[in-house]
Amino acid sequence: MTSDRAQLVNASLAARVAMPAPASARPGAQFAAGLLPVLPAVAFLLLFFVAPLVQNGAHSIWLPSPQGGRLSAAYYAKLFFDSYYLTVIGQTLLLSVIVTAICAVLGYPVAYFMVRHAGRWTGLIIFLLVAPLLTSIIMRTFGWSVILARNGVLNSTLLGLGFIERPLRLLQGPSSVIIGLVHVLVPFMVISIAAVLKGVDRRLEEAAQLLGAGRLRTFREVTLPLSLDGVATGSIVVFMLANGSFLTMLLLGGGSVVTLPLLIYQQFLLVQNLGFAAAMGNVLLALAVLSLFLQLRLIRRQGVHR
Amino acid sequence: MNSCATKVSAETGIGLQLVQVSKSFGGVAALRPSSFSVPAGRMCALLGPSGCGKTTTLRIIAGFETPDAGRVVIAGQDRTDDPPQRRKLGMVFQNYSLFPHMTVEQNVAFGLRMARLPRAEIEARTHRMLDIVHLPQHGERYPNQLSGGQQQRVALARSLVTEPSMLLLDEPLGALDKNLREEMQFELRQLQREFGITTLLVTHDQEEALTMSDMIVVMNRGEILQVGTPTEVYERPRNRFVSEFLGTSNILTLIVTGRPDADTLRVRSAEASEGAEFCLPTSTTAEPGRAITVAIRPEHLHVVPLADRMPHGLTATVTGSVFRGASRVFQLRIPGFARPLFAYRQVTGPASATALPVGAPVSVSWTPGAMRVLDDE
Repeated sequence: MTSDRAQLVNASLAARVAMPAPASARPGAQFAAGLLPVLPAVAFLLLFFVAPLVQNGAHSIWLPSPQGGRLSAAYYAKLFFDSYYLTVIGQTLLLSVIVTAICAVLGYPVAYFMVRHAGRWTGLIIFLLVAPLLTSIIMRTFGWSVILARNGVLNSTLLGLGFIERPLRLLQGPSSVIIGLVHVLVPFMVISIAAVLKGVDRRLEEAAQLLGAGRLRTFREVTLPLSLDGVATGSIVVFMLANGSFLTMLLLGGGSVVTLPLLIYQQFLLVQNLGFAAAMGNVLLALAVLSLFLQLRLIRRQGVHR
Repeated sequence: MNSCATKVSAETGIGLQLVQVSKSFGGVAALRPSSFSVPAGRMCALLGPSGCGKTTTLRIIAGFETPDAGRVVIAGQDRTDDPPQRRKLGMVFQNYSLFPHMTVEQNVAFGLRMARLPRAEIEARTHRMLDIVHLPQHGERYPNQLSGGQQQRVALARSLVTEPSMLLLDEPLGALDKNLREEMQFELRQLQREFGITTLLVTHDQEEALTMSDMIVVMNRGEILQVGTPTEVYERPRNRFVSEFLGTSNILTLIVTGRPDADTLRVRSAEASEGAEFCLPTSTTAEPGRAITVAIRPEHLHVVPLADRMPHGLTATVTGSVFRGASRVFQLRIPGFARPLFAYRQVTGPASATALPVGAPVSVSWTPGAMRVLDDE
């Protein structure tokens, strides 16, 4: 069954590749000539992307022992059947989802303002957005520590205003990790949304208004649906980046938030269990690809009629 | 101005009235104080070149722009301060502006849904409207799956289904190719008559304005130059701009040199001092020494070989000739005039019978009624 399908796919692929052949006199030579400029990129990818992936895969299923080692799925079994690791996987995804959602909610209004009202201030807004990306993570972490610490700016302000009676424990917990991640990742969301929002024809909104829709309904019925593509793109980017980041967890989380990348870091550098780190890396990659696939499906359904 | 407004609302049978409406952007006047009114159920064309203020006028009527001064009265109600969604207008945009994420049916139903009508009524009215525009089978499709003409019809259906008090058309046929455009001109006009809806058509296409509308408002540089029926505006243009913008016009600037009798003026070209004098049959009362500008439509010029010359005929030379199927266009040069004259000659018999060789001396004449003396500018 599977091989049947594989054969079919192969045949159709072959047909597709073979199709333009009769048109040109020496297809082989032409193909080779076309390939030449992309060779450096291909070589680079093979060397630094495909090869490590293969090596990683090999590591993850190789259980070393003094006698020389053997093939084993033990690492994967541990990841998927040990409740601790399942919790970590769950936490990783949950954190990414939360960060993505916050970025979308915070980023949309900024993108909207930037496209519709900022005018000549657009450049400044983009600079302010990108500024955190230009700052080193140490600086950002230090900054947040100053703000979020027990006696930091935020707590003393809230105390002074009488909103709280004792300082909140913000640092070294999930909230500081989420704040830190949103801080760096929200520009990706804003820029993705702004790019699509800019392309939304204002006359569509005017048409909706003339047909009796107030400003809010115009936004809900026309502007928002037409800019969902941007939200989806931004979400994919933010989700992936949040999924893969560990420095913020390490520096702002203080061990309270344990995610897959953090475990990989520990296994790789501290425990030096390369095989287990490799298996976790592969699971993370698979999760990322899976979510990408799901989100792409979602966009396709929304934006098929453009 | 107040008395003006009260007079307006008291009147019946007026679909749209603009009272001294003006608008400027950053100190530049886009629309000088302008007034005109359209009788209820009529189609009025707002005609002018780009940048003449017609789009500004349309956007003020729609409520997208707030006028600096003046009132906008639609179907007897002062709408100047209402936002677009409360003006009960239908509009067909230049690029149709169909919602790309909605099906044809959803597009047409949008206005009804916004009015929060019962679902059954929305469905019934949407389907009836799609029948009217000959698209009953296309309800499930998306706008990008339709041809330009079909999109146009959906846009029309969407704007009419809410039974608006007025229809605005913003260059509605601009994006269609020529054949389809002519077809849609008739269809649009027919629908407008059937619905009896007051319509404002914004266009830069004089042919569209002439064929589709009951009245034409000619605009240029933010000013209304002339208001009238298509025949009035075409046959009796008030000034040079109107005369040249609506169709082709031969404009001659002349100096009156004498008045042999009550129905004749003796004139010469104002461009050349040595130009030959000739007599013009006209009842215009212009004193000798004054300059006048006259306009004559190319189709009103009679061109005959010099041998068959008529009294008052001007001698000219054929400098160009184009065969256009139903007619011939001649380019003529008259001594003393810098600009060539254009003359159309209907081809009635064999095409060769109307031909005149380039370089041939001819005689040009026109009937007094065909010539229009323009307002001083």
